[in-house]
Amino acid sequence: MDIKFNKVSFIYNEKTPLEKEVLKDLNFEIKKNQISAIVGKSGSGKTTIIEMITSLIMPTSGNIKIDNCYIEKNSKIVNINELRFKVGLIFEFPEEQFFNSTVQKEVEFGLKTFNYKIDEMSKRVSDALKMVGLDDSYLSRNPHTLSSGEKRKVAIASILVFNPQVIIFDEPTVGLDSNSKRNLMRLIKMLKNKYNKTIIIVTQDVDFLHKIVDYVYILEDGKVILEGDKYTVFSEVETLLKHGITVPKLVEFSHKVLKEKNIKMGYRDEINDLIKDIYRYAK
Amino acid sequence: MLNNVMVGRYYPITSKIHQMNPLSKIICTVIFITLMFLTNDLFFVLLITGFVLLILLMSNVPIKIYLRTIKGLKILIIFIIIINLILRVEWQIITIMVARLVLVVLYTSVLTLTTPPTELTYGLEKFFTPLRLIGIPVNKMALSLSLALRFIPTIIDQANKIMKSQTCRGINYNDSKVKDKLIGIKSLLLPMLIYSLRRADELAVSMELRLYNINKKRTNFRMNKWSFFDTYMFSVHTIILVLLIVRGVLL
Repeated sequence: MDIKFNKVSFIYNEKTPLEKEVLKDLNFEIKKNQISAIVGKSGSGKTTIIEMITSLIMPTSGNIKIDNCYIEKNSKIVNINELRFKVGLIFEFPEEQFFNSTVQKEVEFGLKTFNYKIDEMSKRVSDALKMVGLDDSYLSRNPHTLSSGEKRKVAIASILVFNPQVIIFDEPTVGLDSNSKRNLMRLIKMLKNKYNKTIIIVTQDVDFLHKIVDYVYILEDGKVILEGDKYTVFSEVETLLKHGITVPKLVEFSHKVLKEKNIKMGYRDEINDLIKDIYRYAK
Repeated sequence: MLNNVMVGRYYPITSKIHQMNPLSKIICTVIFITLMFLTNDLFFVLLITGFVLLILLMSNVPIKIYLRTIKGLKILIIFIIIINLILRVEWQIITIMVARLVLVVLYTSVLTLTTPPTELTYGLEKFFTPLRLIGIPVNKMALSLSLALRFIPTIIDQANKIMKSQTCRGINYNDSKVKDKLIGIKSLLLPMLIYSLRRADELAVSMELRLYNINKKRTNFRMNKWSFFDTYMFSVHTIILVLLIVRGVLL
């Protein structure tokens, strides 16, 4: 399911003294079955973009094409729930949405509102929990008594349960420890490789990102200033730093080595590979 | 979703009225309301209408916004007129009644549109200071009022976030059946309650950690000076009030 932005602009509080233009004539395309990432400083319009994809807000001008559905101003989408069934959005602190007494009720809530068949529900719920690494013993527990990492997992499961084709993560790593981050990384990779999902990640955490992402969009002041696969984008270290965007530590290190010692390291995903390379050169 | 909630309805521009001391604005409003309830002839109502129009123009806020506040009174005004017509009240008295209502609402909306909520609390605190003499804890009331006002935007932001994330799980807050709507309200209220309680707890702890003591004399971040314009407005209001009383005594 491709997502195409066509000349999209968005203005907050239009025609009031608090007017603020967030997106300006945005044109880009997010391809299916790959992990895309939108990176930018805070206030560059990242969250606005992902809220538009789920039609929580409508663009001021231009349109967004998802599947065969157009999101544009003053047009009412006939089957808005069908669109939201296809696109799952996981917010920054998803655990704040809990209101049910057990994990099972919390996770199956989405299915119920989308009028899913009742008899398959419990199987879907335990499958979704298994995907995020929680077993059936959690089903009867109260979501508010879980630890923050587990809460996050339950919240992700409550979106995965209705099996959306596009999954959007908004700042997924905020407040997670390194172990949970690694689990999340594994989950995202699995979603893409095993279940062929389209995944969009919005984050500032480039170190987390560069290990899993395929395609990167760099956003500044409501415009895409750089896009491409991660190798091309992250190798432009100077441009990124000029725009105030942090570069993954691995990339920054190999860039420094290239600059000072004139040794070409190439792009490494893992720190272990980099260490091996350095070792080889040292010999 | 909740974007059109106007908190405190403050309209951020600059004007002579915006720059006035909040205390003097509150005093003027109180005088004006007293004034409106003392008037009972048409000539004076006309005079005051002109005066209010002048103040509306001075506040630089678009007249459209004032008209919106009047629009909300439409049903009440029609109701007043019908009841009075049934009771066969004279048309002059009906006009005065309606004018009284409209003018008071317009005048108080000048106050709320030109004063930010925090300034308003400051003004109210200063206004009620004399009550401390009879043992009413004015500073406690002002503190809880200002905290409540300060957290309205935060709470609305949070409600917006939760509404959005529940919308992603299939709830449609805008148009759905009654049962779905009830589930929607439940899915919004419960997380909000939890959030607000947690927030209040955090706030209390952090205030205690900074050794906040309600009984100490507090200073304000903004120094609201009493300017010449404040004195001028105060005198104009008082003069009108005195004129009205003198007229009532003489006639």
